[in-house]
Amino acid sequence: MTDTPPPAGPETSLKPAEPLRRTSSARARAGFSLVWLVPILALAVTLAVGWNVVASRGTVISVDFTDATGITPGETLLKFREITVGKVESVRFTEDLKQVRVNMRVDKDLAPFIDDEAKFWIVRPEVSTQGISRLDTVLTGAFIEGYWDDQQTSREQDIFQGLEKPPLTSLGQKGTLIVIEADRSHGMTEGAPVLYRGIQVGQMQNLRLSENGEGVAADVFIAAPHDARLTTNTVFWDTSGFSISFGAQGIALNVNSLASVLQGGAEFATVTSGGEPVKNGHVFSLQPDEDTARANLFADNRNILRLNMHVDETVKGLETGANVQHMGVTVGRVSNIAARMVQGADGSQHILQEITLTLTPERIGLDGEITPERALEFAAEQVRQGLRARIASAGFFGTSLEVELVSLPDAPAAEIDLAAQPYPVIPSVPGEVSDFSETAQGFLSRVGQLPLEEALKSVTDMLNSVTAIASSEDTRAIPGALRSTLEDAKATSGEMRQIAAELRESGAAGQIRKMVDEAAAAAEAVKLAAADVPSMVEQIDKAAGKVGEVDFAAISTEAEGILKDLRAMIGSEDAEELPRNLSDTLQAASALLNELREGGAAGSLNAALASAKTAADDVSTSAQRLPQLSARLEALAARAESVIAAYGDRSAFNNESINLMREMRRAANAFGSLARTIERNPQAFILGR
Amino acid sequence: MTGCRFGDRALADTRDGPILTAHRAGLIGCRGCGRVWPDAEETCARCGAALVPPDRRSLAAVWAWLLAGFIFYVPANLFPMLKTKTLGGLGGSSESTIFGGVIELLHYGNWFVAGVVFTASIIVPIGKFIAIAWLATVAGKPATVHDAHRRLLLYEVVEFIGRWSMIDVFVVAILSALVQLGFVASIHPGPAAVAFALSVAFTMLSAQSFDPRLIWRGLPLRNRKD
Repeated sequence: MTDTPPPAGPETSLKPAEPLRRTSSARARAGFSLVWLVPILALAVTLAVGWNVVASRGTVISVDFTDATGITPGETLLKFREITVGKVESVRFTEDLKQVRVNMRVDKDLAPFIDDEAKFWIVRPEVSTQGISRLDTVLTGAFIEGYWDDQQTSREQDIFQGLEKPPLTSLGQKGTLIVIEADRSHGMTEGAPVLYRGIQVGQMQNLRLSENGEGVAADVFIAAPHDARLTTNTVFWDTSGFSISFGAQGIALNVNSLASVLQGGAEFATVTSGGEPVKNGHVFSLQPDEDTARANLFADNRNILRLNMHVDETVKGLETGANVQHMGVTVGRVSNIAARMVQGADGSQHILQEITLTLTPERIGLDGEITPERALEFAAEQVRQGLRARIASAGFFGTSLEVELVSLPDAPAAEIDLAAQPYPVIPSVPGEVSDFSETAQGFLSRVGQLPLEEALKSVTDMLNSVTAIASSEDTRAIPGALRSTLEDAKATSGEMRQIAAELRESGAAGQIRKMVDEAAAAAEAVKLAAADVPSMVEQIDKAAGKVGEVDFAAISTEAEGILKDLRAMIGSEDAEELPRNLSDTLQAASALLNELREGGAAGSLNAALASAKTAADDVSTSAQRLPQLSARLEALAARAESVIAAYGDRSAFNNESINLMREMRRAANAFGSLARTIERNPQAFILGR
Repeated sequence: MTGCRFGDRALADTRDGPILTAHRAGLIGCRGCGRVWPDAEETCARCGAALVPPDRRSLAAVWAWLLAGFIFYVPANLFPMLKTKTLGGLGGSSESTIFGGVIELLHYGNWFVAGVVFTASIIVPIGKFIAIAWLATVAGKPATVHDAHRRLLLYEVVEFIGRWSMIDVFVVAILSALVQLGFVASIHPGPAAVAFALSVAFTMLSAQSFDPRLIWRGLPLRNRKD
């Protein structure tokens, strides 16, 4: 409107200015098109930038957690392999208010990989006795970590369930996840190594109470290829701490390694063959030590062979769980001991101990495919060849018992009673119980039962009689009687000399020589006989008496013949010596008897015997006290055994030491973990990253 | 006439009858130095600037720049202005938009700073948009002398304030330059800073494109007291 024709005159006179004005408007028109490019360009740029931003925003996923400790909307990051791939946008509750739903925006590139196998967990700083982990999150605050594999599947998912704890090992690792259970968390610590032949092949995590609350359980991830070592027959045992065992070899201190002492841990081995490969989640029980583990045959319960044995002797000291040995190898356990009423052959009832044995057929020597039926068949065959069960003593002092399977080919034939209930009955033989107390008691009672008093009495009596003999008048009379006898003999010999002279004259020399030889032999016999003084004396006395009574006249004719011979005999030198020898002997005997009488030998003998009797009495009294002593010895043995037990596994001493060690181990772990963190990233100590 | 003081003009306006504008006097004003020349002159002999008669069609440029400025004002408010990282992003890494920053400042009780930021970054630019848009709309339209004076005043205020709208960008630039404490704390300008700067620049260009002589074109030929 302003360009309407000007009303003033000067305008018309300035016509030539028109083109200029047109130029101006033309320039304005030209500027029109050019300047409008600016907002168009601006719009284009803005839209492009805006679209770019929106397009690269990524996908929203939701993860449900029980609580959202440390999660701040707009700040908390989602990390995948420690790289930020997303951010928490908002946090709200699930519909039932039981969980927290965290909405996160994930990078577009990675979103396709997040399928139903993706796992999410919150990473928070953990300061525990085990050490400090994720120190970086102290300053950064918690973040959410996710893991998913590289498989793009169509099973995409928007809502996930977050894990309560970080997963065991870095996901995607191949291996087998198993569960170890034990009564107590002895040797089980978070992160404790699991060894195979001393090489770490896994570690314990997620230590927790087992589902039924009867023990503790820990997850162990055995990485490939070591998981191939696991079978259903694998046994695990605690390698933590050390053990002191006190056995026949003395006290043995077993320490695996300082590391295991400090860290705890478990080791496994596959003791018997024939197990099947394990699947994820297989539960193994952790045995307190290697021996127990190797003896533990209940890893696979399917092939267990149960047998009963009947024993009619005492089973004091036999406990449930006692070993069943076969040729020195533990092949099973005593699983039950019960008294059982049995009908005897004669109809009377008596009580037997029924011991249930739980055997592992593999250990007896059965291999190949093992079924309970085959195992029983095998056992029956073994019994036919003489396999018997018996009670044997075990333990240091033999106060505890175990069951032994022994091959006794000479044993009376017997069969397994397959019909018996509840289990077949294996024939048994009397046990070889070397009961310490029984032995000692038996010895002492035998000593006690010795006829000491009778023996002493007889000795006393004998000595008394000896004394009586020695002191009797008769004995004293012996020398006198002898003397008279000899005088008689001398007289006789005078006559004999005359006879001899006559004989010599008669010329019977040849006969006489022969006689002399005989007489010499007789004299020799007499000389020997002289040793037996008392009887000789008596006989001589008797003989002398008889000689005195002899009716010489009646026998004179006979004697004449004898005297002839005697005369000849006496004529020899030997004959002459005989009386002298005899006399010497008698003198010696007399001297002995005198000495005996004078020296009071009998008295001292009496005294000796009296003291012997006292001694015997003492022994007798002692023998009466023997049972008591034996009981004390038995108590001592039991105490010794309990002392040994006290130094054994699970004893107070051991536990104390192990607890101490565990404390040390925790402290060391804490320092180790801290040191590792700092070593890996010194900044982390201050700044957390 | 652009160099006249508003007060004098208003007095003159009320004192005298219809105002004689350069256009009515057959003159053309130089936008560079303010000297008037006869309509026929094409170049200002004093400053050498081209003498262009006011034309409403030149308002298109105003609108174009204004639109561009407005377009950039949108991302300037949506995108973060400042990216703050403390302790290497651990102590907190925040991205604040203009309005978010104001809210945050209010949250911390910095009413004054919040007010300054709010005024400089939101009220002033939006006010400018409205003012320029209004000026461009009414330019050349019939108006009283009083209206014309008001429009001129508005135009001058807008032009004066224009350069100060960059205060936000200055703050961001200074902070980014100063707060580079490496690991401990660092501030980086966000995409909004660029957008805001462009927005301000375009708005200034828009104000520059506006020919204030158009304000006087719509004056009544006779002095009407209303």
